[in-house]
Amino acid sequence: MFKSYHKLLVATTLFAMLGTSVVCAADKTVSRTYENGKKVIDGGMTYPVYKGKTASYYMNEKAHGGAVNFGRKPTLDEIKAWDIDVMPDGTGLPEGEGSVEEGDEIYEAKCASCHFDFGSGGSGYPALQQGNAYEGQKTLTNQRINPDDDGPQRNFGSYWPQASTLWWYIQTGMPHPAPMSLSDDETYALVAYTLSINEIQIDGEELDDEYVLNREKFLKIVMPNKDGFEPKIDGPNGLENARKYYDNPKNFGGNKERCMKNCFDGDPVVARIQGVGISEYSPPISIKREKPMPKEGSKAEHPGKKAYTASCAVCHTTDAMGAPAVGDKQAWEAALKKGLDKVKHNAIYGINGMPPKGGTTLSDDKVSEIVDYMIEASK
Amino acid sequence: MNKAVTVSQEDEVLSEIQEQSGRRKFFKKTAAYSMSALAASSVLMPVKIKAEKHHGQGDPAILEEQVWGTTFGYPVTHNLYGLPSPYESNVTRRTTELLSSGNMYASIAVSPIHELSGIITPNGLFFNRCHGGTAEIDYNKHRLMIHGLVEKPLVLTMDELKRYPSVSRIHFIECPANGGPEWRNPQFPSIQFAKGFMSCAEWTGVYIKDILKDLGLKPEAKWMLAEGMDNSHMGRTVPIDKVLDDAMIVWGQNGEALRPEQGYPIRLLLPGWEGNLMVKWLGRLEFASEPFYAKEETAKYTALKPSGKAIQHFYANEVNSVITSPCPEKPWSDLKKGDVVEIEGLAWSGMGTIKGVDISLDGGKNWKEASLKGLVLPQAWTRFSFIYKYEGKALFLSSRARDDAGYVQPSVKQERDAVGVEGVYHRNGIHTWEVTANGEVKNVQILS
Repeated sequence: MFKSYHKLLVATTLFAMLGTSVVCAADKTVSRTYENGKKVIDGGMTYPVYKGKTASYYMNEKAHGGAVNFGRKPTLDEIKAWDIDVMPDGTGLPEGEGSVEEGDEIYEAKCASCHFDFGSGGSGYPALQQGNAYEGQKTLTNQRINPDDDGPQRNFGSYWPQASTLWWYIQTGMPHPAPMSLSDDETYALVAYTLSINEIQIDGEELDDEYVLNREKFLKIVMPNKDGFEPKIDGPNGLENARKYYDNPKNFGGNKERCMKNCFDGDPVVARIQGVGISEYSPPISIKREKPMPKEGSKAEHPGKKAYTASCAVCHTTDAMGAPAVGDKQAWEAALKKGLDKVKHNAIYGINGMPPKGGTTLSDDKVSEIVDYMIEASK
Repeated sequence: MNKAVTVSQEDEVLSEIQEQSGRRKFFKKTAAYSMSALAASSVLMPVKIKAEKHHGQGDPAILEEQVWGTTFGYPVTHNLYGLPSPYESNVTRRTTELLSSGNMYASIAVSPIHELSGIITPNGLFFNRCHGGTAEIDYNKHRLMIHGLVEKPLVLTMDELKRYPSVSRIHFIECPANGGPEWRNPQFPSIQFAKGFMSCAEWTGVYIKDILKDLGLKPEAKWMLAEGMDNSHMGRTVPIDKVLDDAMIVWGQNGEALRPEQGYPIRLLLPGWEGNLMVKWLGRLEFASEPFYAKEETAKYTALKPSGKAIQHFYANEVNSVITSPCPEKPWSDLKKGDVVEIEGLAWSGMGTIKGVDISLDGGKNWKEASLKGLVLPQAWTRFSFIYKYEGKALFLSSRARDDAGYVQPSVKQERDAVGVEGVYHRNGIHTWEVTANGEVKNVQILS
C-alpha cells in the first residue's frame, strides 16, 4: 500500500516536473508568429513583450498604450502637394500628353548627357534599353557561370514590372541634378520616348515618332516582365503570399544544415581574385596611425602660437587668474579699446598680477608676436 | 602586401623616427633654454629632463620626454564638438568609383569594419548609401506627414514627433548588396569593400504603431509607402506586418541626432531588413491596399534567380558573418610561430538573434564552435571569438553563423546551387580568408 502510494507520488512528481519543463520550453520571449497568429512575414522571429521586456530591452508598457497624440490634420492642399507617387492602377497619374518626338527632344537636352544616345548608358550611368524589351526579357534566365556567358538584361524594358514606376521616377527623380522640374506633359513625352526605344507596344501598337501618349493609353501598358516576380504581392492575398513565401527556405536559398566534419571531399576548390581585383579606393587602404599631411594651401600656424602655448597659456587659457582668456572675444575687444600699442606695452612691462613678459625672458618682438596670436585667436 | 611594400613601409617608419628624434633634440634645447626664464614664474613647474636618469638604453618612446608630456594640451575650449585623434586619420569611410551609379551623388561610402571594436559603429564611420547626395535638411522646415488609409491623417513637426514616448534599440543596418559584387568571384582585396556595406548603432525614436493608435488604421490598409525628402525622393513599400511589429521612426543615433548621412532629422528603421527600405530624410508615410511599386523595387533591390523569376520585396538580410581579424587590412604578418592569437569577427541576422558561430581552418571542411562575446541582441551585430595558436602554416579561415530562426549560413556552393549567381542582393554565403604561410590575408571563395 505504502509502496504503491509512493510510486504514485513519484509518478505525479515526475509528471509535474515534465509539465514544468514543457512550460519552460515554450519560450514566450520569442515567436514565429505575430499576436494575430500570422507567420512573421520575413521568415524570421519576433520578440513579443513578456514580463515588461522585449528581447533584452525593458519597456514602459504604459508609454505605448496609445494615449499620446500630437500634431495636426494636414490640409487637402498639403496632402496634394506631397502625394507624388504613381501606382500601377493609375492612382496619382495626372492627365496630360506627350509624343515620342517631343520626348526625343527633351531627352537630347536633359538626359543624354548621362544616359547617352538612345538610352544606351555608360560610365556607370544605367542603360535605359538594350534593344527589344520582349527579347531582353528572355535573357533573364541567363547565368554568367563561364567568362564568356552573356548576363541577364536588367533594364526598364526587359525587367521592370510596372510602367507606373517609370512615370513616377522620371517626374520626381529626374533629371538627376534637377528633380521635380519636369511638367506632366514633358514626363509623358519622356515616358513615350523610353517605351519607344525599348520597342514596347501598347495595345499591339508600336510607338513611332508621332505616337502621342496620354493617361488612357498609359494605363494599357503591359510590361514584358510583369509576371517575372515572386512572391505575388498584388491583390487581397498579397501579404499572405509573402508570409508563405518566406516560410519556405527553398524559395530564397535558406539553409538549415550545420555540418561539422568532412563537409566536402578532398581539398577545397579555391576561387581567387583575378589580377588585382577592384583595388582603387579613395582614400587608399592604410592602417597606419599617422597624422594627415597638412593640405596644400591650408593656413600656416601663427608664429606666436608655439611660444604662447609654452609660456602664456597657463594663465590665459581661462580668465580664472584675471587674465583675458584666449578665445574670449569680448574680453579682448575690451582690452583693445586701450589700443594695440598699449596692450603690447602692458604685455612687455607687466600689468596688475602679470609680471613683465609673463615672467619670461622672451624678446620684445616675440612677446609682441604672441599678443598678435592671442588677439587673432580671440576674434 | 608583398615584400617590396613592407620594405618601403619600414623605410618610412625609420625616416619618421629620425625626424622625431630631430624634433626631440630641438625640443630639449628649447626646454633648457627657457628653464631659467620659467623658474621666474612661480606657477610654472620646471620641465624634468629624463635624460639625466639613464644611459640611453631602450625605447626612445619611453626614455625621451614627449611633447605631450611637457607642454599644454588643447584647452577644453578646443573642438567643443570632439574629433578623433588625428593619428586615427586612416580610419575612415572609403569609396570606389566602381560602386557608383555614374557619380558620387548616387553611390556608397563603406565602413572600415576592420577598425571597429564592439558592436557600435561611431556615427562618422557609419556606411552611407544615397541616391541623390546627402541632403542637409533644416530641422525647423521638416515635417512628417502620415496619410492614405487612416481615419485621421496627421502632420508633425520634429519637436512634436519627439514628444512621443521613445524607445532605443541596437540594430545593424546592412545594404542588401553587401558582398553583392562577389556573386561570381571574389573581387575586393579588402574587408572594408567586401563586407563593409553595413554598420550597427543604437537608435532612438518612436514605434510607428504608437502613432497609428491615434490615427486609426483602416482595415484595408496593407502596405505603407515611406518616402524621403532628398533629391531622389526615394520611396519603398513596407508590409503592414512590420509596421505593426517593430518599425520605428528614429531621430537618435548613438546618443546624438542622426547624422545627415543617416537621414537627419529622421529615418525609417525596420530592424533586420534591407538598408534600402529604411528610408532616410523621411517625410511621408502613406497607407494603401496595394503595393506601390517604387523605383527601388524593380531592376534594383530584387534578386534574380536561375528560373528567370526575381524575388521582389526581399525583406530580411539573412544570417551572415565575417572574420574581422585577421583580414586583408589586418594580416598576421607580424606573428611568430607559437603566438596565441584571437580570431575575431562579426555575426548578424536580420531574421533574429545569433545563436552561435563556427570557425573552420580548412575552408569549411571541418568546423569548431567559436565563443560569442559581449551583448547578443536581435538583429544586431554580435561579436565572436576563437583562440588560435599560430603555426605559421597556410590556412583557409572561414566563419559560419546561425540564428534563432534556425538558419545557418550556406556554403558558397550551396548558395549558388540554390539561387544562382545573378541575384546581386542578399548574398550570405560563407566568407573565407586565405592566410598564406607568411601571414598575408587574401579574399577567396571555397567552391567545394
